[in-house]
Amino acid sequence: MSNRGIVRRFHDMPLRFKLILSFLVVIAIGGIVSLFIGTRLEHATIISQAEAKVRHDLASAWMVYHEKSNSIRDIIWLSAHRKFLRAALQSGRYEGVAAELEVTRRQFGLDILTVADGRGRVVVRARRPDVTGDDESGDPFVSRALEGRPTSGTVIVSRAELLKEGPDLAEQAYFKFIPTPKAVERSEDHEENGMMLKSASPVEDENGALLGVIYAGLLFNRNYELVDQVKDIVFKGEKYKGHDIGTATLFQHDLRISTNVLDDKGNRAVGTRVSREVNEAVLGRGASYVGRAFVVTAWYITAYEPIRDIEGRIIGMLYVGMLEKPYIDLRNRVMATFAGLAGLCTLFLLGLLAFVARQITRPLAVMVEAADRIARGDLSHRIGIGGRDEIGQLAQAFNRMTEDLHSARDDLTQWGRTLERRVEERTHQLREAQDQLIQSEKLASLGKMAAGVAHEINNPLTSIMLNTHLLLEETGDGSEAREPLTLVAEEAARCAQIVSGLLNFARQTPATTVRADVNEIIERTVQLHEKQASVRNIRIERDLDRSLPAINLDKNKIQQVFSNLTINACEAMPDGGSLRITSRLSRDGTGIEIVFTDTGVGIPRDNIPKLFDPFFTTKSLGTGLGLAVSYGIVRQRGGTIEVRSEVGRGSTFTVRIPLEETGEEPEREEVSS
Amino acid sequence: MTDSAKKKILVVDDEITVCKSIRKALVCDAYDIDIAVSGEEALRMEEKKKYDVMVVDLMMPGLSGLDLLKSLKTRRPSAQVIMVTGYPTMKNTLQAMHIGAFDFLPKPFLPADIRNLVTRALAALEEDEEGGSGPPG
Repeated sequence: MSNRGIVRRFHDMPLRFKLILSFLVVIAIGGIVSLFIGTRLEHATIISQAEAKVRHDLASAWMVYHEKSNSIRDIIWLSAHRKFLRAALQSGRYEGVAAELEVTRRQFGLDILTVADGRGRVVVRARRPDVTGDDESGDPFVSRALEGRPTSGTVIVSRAELLKEGPDLAEQAYFKFIPTPKAVERSEDHEENGMMLKSASPVEDENGALLGVIYAGLLFNRNYELVDQVKDIVFKGEKYKGHDIGTATLFQHDLRISTNVLDDKGNRAVGTRVSREVNEAVLGRGASYVGRAFVVTAWYITAYEPIRDIEGRIIGMLYVGMLEKPYIDLRNRVMATFAGLAGLCTLFLLGLLAFVARQITRPLAVMVEAADRIARGDLSHRIGIGGRDEIGQLAQAFNRMTEDLHSARDDLTQWGRTLERRVEERTHQLREAQDQLIQSEKLASLGKMAAGVAHEINNPLTSIMLNTHLLLEETGDGSEAREPLTLVAEEAARCAQIVSGLLNFARQTPATTVRADVNEIIERTVQLHEKQASVRNIRIERDLDRSLPAINLDKNKIQQVFSNLTINACEAMPDGGSLRITSRLSRDGTGIEIVFTDTGVGIPRDNIPKLFDPFFTTKSLGTGLGLAVSYGIVRQRGGTIEVRSEVGRGSTFTVRIPLEETGEEPEREEVSS
Repeated sequence: MTDSAKKKILVVDDEITVCKSIRKALVCDAYDIDIAVSGEEALRMEEKKKYDVMVVDLMMPGLSGLDLLKSLKTRRPSAQVIMVTGYPTMKNTLQAMHIGAFDFLPKPFLPADIRNLVTRALAALEEDEEGGSGPPG
């Protein structure tokens, strides 16, 4: 998978997993780093401690070594002062001396104990009394002792020399090399020389004159006393799982000549050789070596130091080593404990993490669900998360937002409704205003026309009427011409009535307003028509609000309007009925309403818009100007007339007159009656 | 009845038909009726003949009924003038009455209407003469 793929996959994970994964990575990195550093530190600490110890142990080993060397020196020194030896050297008679010295040699575990005369010629050889007379003055120890200087040190002894001291000794020193993989290649395949701790001392008479030399030696080859002593003293013979913890070895050059390191068969691993690394460091450079080394069968923490002869030449090495295993096991135990603790911590942290992640993600999930519900329109949903942390605050903010959203939506809905209603109202008002404007314009132009028409028609009409009547006057009652003449006269009269109606319509004089009581005008109107109405079986009821204020009106004109409406109502009830006239204050309190409600035949819906048009009439004898004139009068005063009607049920005309005068000035010429 | 005893009446209207019709409605032994079809003509005729009653159309081309009335009343305040019109406006009517018209008759009218009015005008004229009073104010 590509990097981007991993990133995307991580991106798509649920938040909880993301949190856990992130923390897990952090924990893992922290754990690994601390484990790494910890174990390294641990290892370094343990190993360096072990190395320090082994260094110290090597010093202890050296002490044992020097102890040994000193003890030989002391034996030689004491022997040099023995009387029988002086006497023998002074006298040159050596019978019994060898036997005496042989006791000492055995007593102190020495391999050689030999006496030479003042010229360096061997006179007594405790180990081999029969071999004497050889010249040892070339031996560095002997030559120094001959010069009066006691000398001690380690030395390589040749096979010839060993053979002189005893073939068994030469045999003890001899090693056939055991092939060792890491050792440095050598041309030889065996070692025939030996490595010996040697000490020589001059033998002097009472006056200090040199009589001879006595020297002793301890062959290290296959002599395990020293190394075992080191093991016992330094390591106290401790064992670990069947193995000695501490080991010590003496090397002759790179060859193990004395050791308590065992090979895989349980034998002392003499005859094997040291590794190249140690060889080069210690034998090559004369340095001490401290560190891990694979010794024969196991890893040891080791320390090597060179052994030098009295000339300062490196001739061998002293080694101590501690089995590494206990330390490794200790380290491993510590590491295991450490790792176990780390694991436990990780587990605990994981648990904690899961809990924390859940604590964080659960409210988020709740919020996601809430957001979902709100998105679906459920604005009444609230999040029930307490707490004052960021999530609690977020939840609160969220709830507030939802509330605001809710009220905003309500407001918007409310506003929308209000707007709709207001648009409706405005549209209605606009339509009304337009209707009224049209009506007013119609009336205005008609008024002008009516005046002209009236004038033009009245002249011929005058001639017609006058002549017809004159003819009628001349025509006898029995005449056949009388009937058509009467008809002409009547029709002419009707023409005159129409023209007169037109003139009435045009005759909208400027209102002469006075303070008047609307109820009084109604009363007067009713009085005028009451009788005629009752004849036609019509009852006129009054429902008048007596508390109405007086307003400025042209009383005559308004009475003309009321009369018109009353007459119309009566004519709409040919079979009788009732007319109710109501006066009241308009609902908004800015005007007076006079309502004429009849129980007549009603007005077809189609006719209602034409009702106020001049010459619109449904009556055979009407001029069609009554309502047009009424409308004009009311408009002039700033009022309105509204009609509601239902065929068969009756009609309601509502005259609304504002309290304040807002009338429109008539454009028409003033007309008199 | 002699010619001099007859009451002299002048009908003034720019429409000859109307003039004739009115004359016809009024015609009788007691009246001597002339007609004029314009204000100017009426004035000329009035100079020759002192009319008792004059029926004048208010709206005429040229010299209008109102101007004619003014001239007549200036010359002879006792003259009784009845104003007729097919288009009676408040302003003109009031003006005419103010200047001294006897009365006002809107067109169209019946023979009886004009006869009655003329009769009343003549009666008023007689009263004035008997009372020796001046022209009505």
